[in-house]
This record gives sequence, C-alpha cells and structure tokens, in this order.
Amino acid sequence: MRVLKLAAACAAFLAAGATAMDTAHAEADFSGQTITIVVPFGEGGGTTRVFGYFVPFLEKYLPGNPLVQMLNIPGGGSIKGANQFHNNQLPDGTYVLATSTSTVVNQAVRNPLVEYDLSAYQPIALIGSETHWFTSSKVTAEPYDFRSIVERPLVLYALNSPSSADLFHVWVFDKLGIEGAKPIPGLSSAAGYQAFLRGEIQVSSHGSANYQRQVVPGLENGEFTDLMSFGLVQLDGTVNRTPYSPDTPTFPEQYERIHGQPLAGDDLTTYLAINAIWNRASKALFLPTDTPADVVDAWRDAFRNIIQDPEFLATSEDALGPSELIVGEEAGEVVASAAVLSDVVVGQLNDVLASNNLTFRIE
Amino acid sequence: MDLFVSVLGSLFDPSHFLFLIAGTLLGLTVGILPGLGGTTALAILLPFVSSFDPTHALALMVGVLAPTTTSDTFPAVLIGIPGTAGSQATVLDGYPMAKQGMASRALSAAFLSSLVGGVWGAIVLTFAIVFAKPIILAVGFGEQFLLIILALVMVGALTGANVVKGIAACGLGLLIGAVGLAQITADPRLTFNTLYLVEGVPLVVVGMGLFAIPEIVALLQSRTSIAGDMALKNQWFQGMRDVVRNWFLVFRCASIGVIVGALPGLGGTVVDWIAYSHMRQTTTRDPDNIGKGDIRGVIAPESANNAKEGGALIPTILFGIPGSGNKVLLLGGFILVGIEPGIEMVTTNLDLTYVIIWSLALANIVGAGLCLFLARPMARITTVPYYILAPVLVSLVFFASYQVNRDWYNFAGLIVFGLLGVLMKTYGWSRPALLIGFFLSSKIELLSYQTSAVYGFSFLWRTGSIILIVITAATLWFLVRQKIGSEEQTEDPGQQRNQMMLTAGFLLLPLAMTVGVYGLDPRASFYPLALSFVLAVLLLWVVFSQYLTRRATIAGAPLPSSLLVRDVFTQEGRLGDQIREFLNLLIFLGMIIVLGFPIAMVAFIVGFISLRSPRHTLLYLGLGLGLLAITWVLADLLTLQYPAGLISAYIDMPWWLSGH
Repeated sequence: MRVLKLAAACAAFLAAGATAMDTAHAEADFSGQTITIVVPFGEGGGTTRVFGYFVPFLEKYLPGNPLVQMLNIPGGGSIKGANQFHNNQLPDGTYVLATSTSTVVNQAVRNPLVEYDLSAYQPIALIGSETHWFTSSKVTAEPYDFRSIVERPLVLYALNSPSSADLFHVWVFDKLGIEGAKPIPGLSSAAGYQAFLRGEIQVSSHGSANYQRQVVPGLENGEFTDLMSFGLVQLDGTVNRTPYSPDTPTFPEQYERIHGQPLAGDDLTTYLAINAIWNRASKALFLPTDTPADVVDAWRDAFRNIIQDPEFLATSEDALGPSELIVGEEAGEVVASAAVLSDVVVGQLNDVLASNNLTFRIE
Repeated sequence: MDLFVSVLGSLFDPSHFLFLIAGTLLGLTVGILPGLGGTTALAILLPFVSSFDPTHALALMVGVLAPTTTSDTFPAVLIGIPGTAGSQATVLDGYPMAKQGMASRALSAAFLSSLVGGVWGAIVLTFAIVFAKPIILAVGFGEQFLLIILALVMVGALTGANVVKGIAACGLGLLIGAVGLAQITADPRLTFNTLYLVEGVPLVVVGMGLFAIPEIVALLQSRTSIAGDMALKNQWFQGMRDVVRNWFLVFRCASIGVIVGALPGLGGTVVDWIAYSHMRQTTTRDPDNIGKGDIRGVIAPESANNAKEGGALIPTILFGIPGSGNKVLLLGGFILVGIEPGIEMVTTNLDLTYVIIWSLALANIVGAGLCLFLARPMARITTVPYYILAPVLVSLVFFASYQVNRDWYNFAGLIVFGLLGVLMKTYGWSRPALLIGFFLSSKIELLSYQTSAVYGFSFLWRTGSIILIVITAATLWFLVRQKIGSEEQTEDPGQQRNQMMLTAGFLLLPLAMTVGVYGLDPRASFYPLALSFVLAVLLLWVVFSQYLTRRATIAGAPLPSSLLVRDVFTQEGRLGDQIREFLNLLIFLGMIIVLGFPIAMVAFIVGFISLRSPRHTLLYLGLGLGLLAITWVLADLLTLQYPAGLISAYIDMPWWLSGH
C-alpha cells in the first residue's frame, strides 16, 4: 500500500516535472491560431516559393500546429509590404515577415520611403544563397579567366537600377579592376540574361538556383565559361567555395589573383557587408521587435527541428536549391551588418558610383 | 510519327484530359469577375501543385491559364469593363454593340475568333518552336526599340477625328508614363515622394479608369439599362457567321498575336491594340462604322489575344524567361513539377512541349466553346435596369482595381483616370492613344538608352532592323492612305470655350514635368523635357485650331477643312451631366474610407437601389449579402485582405476586414 502510494507520488511528481519542463521550454502555444507570413512580393516570386515550401513544415513543428497562411503584399520592390508589417506589428508570434535581398538593400541604401527596420526585429532564420558570374565562351574559353575580361576595352553587364542590389555589381567589377565594365541600365535579371544569350552583354550573373538550372548545362556544353562565385562566408569569417561547384574560385580568390595581395582592410569590410545582403540574408524570416523570448524560441526551435526532418532533408535541395540556413542569435548579427551599412561601406559604394558616372548616392 | 502518336496519347489520356477540363472550369469560374482570371486561379492552385502527379498538375495549370483571355470578354463586351489588359481593345466596338442590343452577336463572334485564334496559334507554335531560338535571339535592343516604334505608328490609326489632337493624346500618355523613377539614374520624377507614384499606376487601372468609368457614368446618366430601349436581338449564329466571313482577318490577327507574344520587348500586353489598329488600317469597306459597334472591331483583338498566349510560351519554354505576366507563375509551376525549361524542350523533351502546346489549344477550345453557350444567357445582363446594375458595376470596378496589386491607392488612380476618361470621352480626345503612350513610354526611354549604349547607330544595319523599318514604312503608308471621315462638331460657343479650357489645362502637365525634372542628371531629364516640349507645341496647335474654328462658328463663316485643323470640337454629351453622376463614385470612395471595402460595397448597393426602387427589398439585400459572401470566400482562398475603413480602429473585425 505504502509502496503504491510512493509510486503514485513519484509518478505525479515526475508528471508535474515533465509538464513544468515542457512549459519552461515552450510556453508558446499556437493551437487554433492562424499565423500570417507577410510576403512583400507577388505570388510568382522566389520568396513566395521558398517560404511556401516551409509552410507545411511550420504547421507541423510550431507548438499547437497552427494554420500558416502567406499574405502577399507586393509593391515598391518589397517596401510596401515590409512597411505594412512594420506599422502593424503583432508581437504574439502570429505575424511574421519574409524578406529577400531587395528588402534588405532598400534599407541598406537608406531609401527615404523605407519605414521598416530589419535590425530591430527578431530574426528567426536566414536562408543563404550564392551569386555566380559567368561569360560566353566567345569572350574567353578558359574557365575562371578574369585576366582576359580585365583586358577587354568594353565589358557590358546588366544593372536593373543603381538603387537596387545590382549596385553591388558596380563595386565588384570596380574592385576587380575591370576598367571596361559598363552597366546597361533598366534590365531585370531575366531581361539581362536574355541580352547575355543574344551576346549583347558580356558578363552575366545568377543566384544559385538559376545558376544550376540555366547556367550549368551551358557550361557543360561549352557555350558558357564560369568566372567566379561570391563566396560563402562562415560564422568564423572564413570564405568557402560552394560545395556544389568546388572548382569555382570565390571573389576573394579572384581579387588576390588580380591584385597579388589578399582582400583586406576597407575592401574586406565592404565585401562582408555585401555578402551578408546578397548571399547570407538572401531570404529571411522575422518576428516583430517586442516578441517575448519564449515565442521567439518556439519559432527558432521549429526551424531547428525542420532542418532535421527526414522529408526536409530529402526534398529541400530540390525545392530551395543548395542553401545554408542560419537559425537564431547569429542571424541577428548578419542582419545588422547587412541592413545598417557602416560609413566605410557607404563611402566605398558612393565612390564606385561616382567613378562609374552614376548619380545615385547613399545619403 | 511516333511523336505524333505519343503526344496524342498523353493529350487524350483520360486523367490528363479530366484535369485539363477541371483547370479550364476553374479558370473560367474565377475569370468571370473582372480583375480576376487565370493568373489568380493559378495563384490559388500553385501551393497545391506539388501534391499532384506532375502530368496532372501540368494539365491543371495549363487548363487554368487558357481561358483567361476568353472569359474576360464577358465584362468587356457586356458592361464595358476591361478586366485584363488583353481585353481593352475589345471594349471599343464590343460595348457599343451591347448598347445596340447585339451583345449575343458580339460575344459569339468573340468566342469563336478566340477559339480559332488559339488553335491557329498552336499550329504555328508546333512548327515555329523548333527553330524559334535563333529568331528570338536575333531580336536585340535595337530590334526591340524598332518594334516599339512600329507599335506606336500602328496605333496612329486610333487618333480619332483630328490627327494632331490624337497625337497629343498619345503624347499625354507618354508623359504620364514618364512619371516615376528614372530607371537609368534612379531619380524620382514627379513622384511627390510617394511609393505609389514611384511604382506607377498599373496599366489595368488606367484602362479601367479611361474606359469603364465613363461608361458607368453614361449608364447612370441614361437611367435605363445598357441596351436601353433597344430590343435584345438574338444574333448568336450571326456572330459566328461574321467570323467565317472575316476568316482572313482572324488568320492575320492570330498570326500577329503569336509573333508579338513570342518576341521580347513589346510583350503581349498591347497585342489587342495592335490587332485592332491593323484591322482599322486595312479596312476599306465601310470604315466609318468602326468604333461604333462594328463586329470586326471585336473579331480582330479577340483572335489575337488568345494566340499571343501560345506565342508567350516560346520564351518560357525555351529560355525559362516568362513571356508575359501569368507565365511567371506558370514557370514557377513548371519548376515545381520538375520541368526544366531549356533547349532540351525542343530536342529530347519535344513530346512534352507538344503536350503543353496542344493542351493549351484543347483547353482553349473547351473554354471558348463553353463561353459560346453562355453567350446568350449572359447577354441578358444588358437589359438589367441601371439602378441595379450600376452600383454592382461600381463595386466590381473598384474591386478589380484593388485586386491588380492589392493597393488601395489604386482607388485614387481609378478616380483620377476615370475623371480624365470622362473629360476625354466628352470632348473627343482619343483614349486608346493615351493608354498606348502610357504603356510604351518607359520602354521607349529605356530601349533607346540601351540601344545606343550597346550599338550606337549601327543597329540600323542589322537584318532584323531593316525588316522592321520596311514594315514600319509600309504601316505609315497605310496610315496616310487611310481615309478619315469628317465628324460632327459642337457649335455651341459655350461648349467650345469649355473645350479650349480643357486643352489649355492639359498644358499644365508638361509644365509641371518641366519644373519637376529641371536640374536632374540629363539621363533622367532629357526624355521628359523633350516630350514636354513636343507635347506643349501639339497642345498649342490644338488650342489654335480650336480658336480658328470657334471664330468661324461665331462669324458664321465656313469652318477650317484642312486635315490638321478640322474636327477639333467633336463632342459626346455635356460635361456637367457626366460630372454630376461621377459624384456617385466619390461617394462610394468616401464610404470605403470610412467603412472599409466589403461593408461599403454592401451599404452602397443597398443604399443606391433602395433610394431608387424601394420595393426591391429582397433583391438589394440578397445582392449585397451575396457579394459580401463572395468577397469573404475570395479573401479566404486568396489570403486577401481588403482595404480597412476608419471604423476598424474602433470595432473589432475579422482579419480580412480589419487590415492588420
């Protein structure tokens, strides 16, 4: 009898302990709630596609299995939707913002229409990407051969607008010493790629997904020549080559080949900032500023669980392309360095804008 | 031959066929509301695509997209609302036909030409796609620039009674199109630091403002129904006979559709206008009726706008570069189901390409066929009394303009362009010319810059350029040869004074632009400054012609008859009456601001009908609540949030009404 009582007490204690641990770990519970992911782009865009892929996983791993819906608010290169998120922040974990490089860049170049502040939000996860440059084999057939590009009197490339993320191409070509580089304005990435296929521009670039889809076949049949990738910056600051394309040198390597000395000083600072915008925070998910810590943790835990889900491991490469995920605290530092540019970086960018005879300035 | 059998096999495979039909039905159902269509239906579908078997998903997606340019004909013809850019030109003759009680004839002709155009497009594609790559790659910046110029010249056929006035209307459009960010330098031009103007007013909103609003205003003013006291004629077979009789026109316009859809630069958006202008220029028999309810004005754009969907598939399939707006979504769907666009699609995967092309054609046949049978019952809409139809139309136009990019500033755009539309319609200014100028403006500026950066003037010696220059010259020759009949003008000196004041008022725009861009970098300011100067000269010429005509009218002397000065005072109705009815729209806008869109819509419909016909209680309550239910279902399906009213700050409301 006593034994039984003791056992019952023990069981009760254990059960209570277990519940206590549970609540301490994830107080947040979204059961019966609807979570809205604000996507400041149209339905057909990459950001919708990427986070649409995550929706079923989030419904599975967020505590309480809430319904997750995506609210597309396109316009103004994502400024409209992000501003709307900023002005309607619900800090209970049911209202999150999905961003892409253009969202970050609008804040980074201090666009006066931007009201949002990514560095003030609570980042949940960053989904990284990689940027690739390639040319036609008619320009050079030698892979990774930037020398012959540098020697060309005229190298045309696409520039959507000097206030967009394409601004960084101007910096990249400038720092590699390509004096003949000249931007052709007003070309979206699709229009730019088509102009490249026609041979009207000489160097083109793509993110990892389109690179694998559209460029790799051209590299294999000898139509295109690979030039470089921007590089994968690790948490400790080292720069790695892309695992799926291990022979492609990175920007810092090409920089060293051309200049004879490693990327360092202000150039390195600027490189890291651009890399954060272009590659590391290529897609990101944010909670509002005042979200309680337990809710933030619940979201980050959900992502940590998702990336170990067997179905995710089996399908993510196809759906997202090769990409690196950063979850939690570290993401905050990356976002801060991307969204709020230091004076050094602003100075460098404004200098290359001026030397390329473009009138746009980061003010 | 094996290819043929295998393609036919997969095309008529029962499950493929069923999914295709299901998609077509979904696309049609969604597409009947103006502003919605295949693109919206595809957006609804896309999240579920990966859960289907890839071949079924493909059939479903193609089916959904196919009837977009078919079902939008209903609102264009019946109520004068161009719900998509592809049906704008159809309004020009289709709606006057509806007003004459000939809606069923216009609709059956439209759907049959859509069907034939779509099938012809598929036939052309079947052969063209194999060798299209070098042709498309030959169209560089220079050729694209010349294509735009060609489109502008073609549209010269739509200038209206007075040529200078028409060109000035186009100039107005070009100048309005230059508002926004200068893409070359990212300098703002007359944006007043607003995001909305940086983006620019969407083309569909401009189209609805210019064409639908004046018609709604006219309907309100007529106080009858759309068909008025005209008896509804049952000419369903007549419409189909019209298509057969004009088979050569159908064939030409469908071919234009495929080509324009496939080539980069122009895009499929204006293909209906190009087809319409082509019809106008090549019509020698009875040209005066065009624009007043001529069946050929329906057949030409409708044969082209379905065919262009096929053409736009070429760059999507070959290069993975979407050829038109809804192809962006289709491309996303292709990738989801594992179809990799690229040159393999015409080599190893040619059968798959043919399945896509012919699925599109098949879905077109089914979609247009179904619409054909709906034409007669739907034509009855034109006999619905104005006090029921008008408030519903107002709600639909506002809904459609919001849905374009879910920006409630579009209401402002709609009102401004609606007012402009009313002014232009009343005082005889060409609205198509303004619309086309608006759409082409940014392309002209960018392409001229891109062309000169890459080629200088050497682009003129490329083969494609020479071909295009020859076609442009031929078009010009047709244009000059085209006879423009003299039209009736107002002889009331008071009205004439008002008309002159409007012309002078238009001068404010080039003036504002000049002040706004003065001092910017030349790459941002040259284009708008040059335009402003030319436009100011044109407008002054019009004012001068109007002055001459007015002086002659007052003195009782013969009116000027020279082509460039005559017919400057054409007029439709009186402005004051129109403006009074226009106020209804402002009232509705005010209600939206206070109550939010869905509630304002119910209140407006109930209020409007009950004031004019109090006995119909059941009707207006049913209509209001029915539309509320539709908006609610749409909100759920599309994750659509409506513009919230001021009251949402005080009253707790569901998420789709509350705006946050």
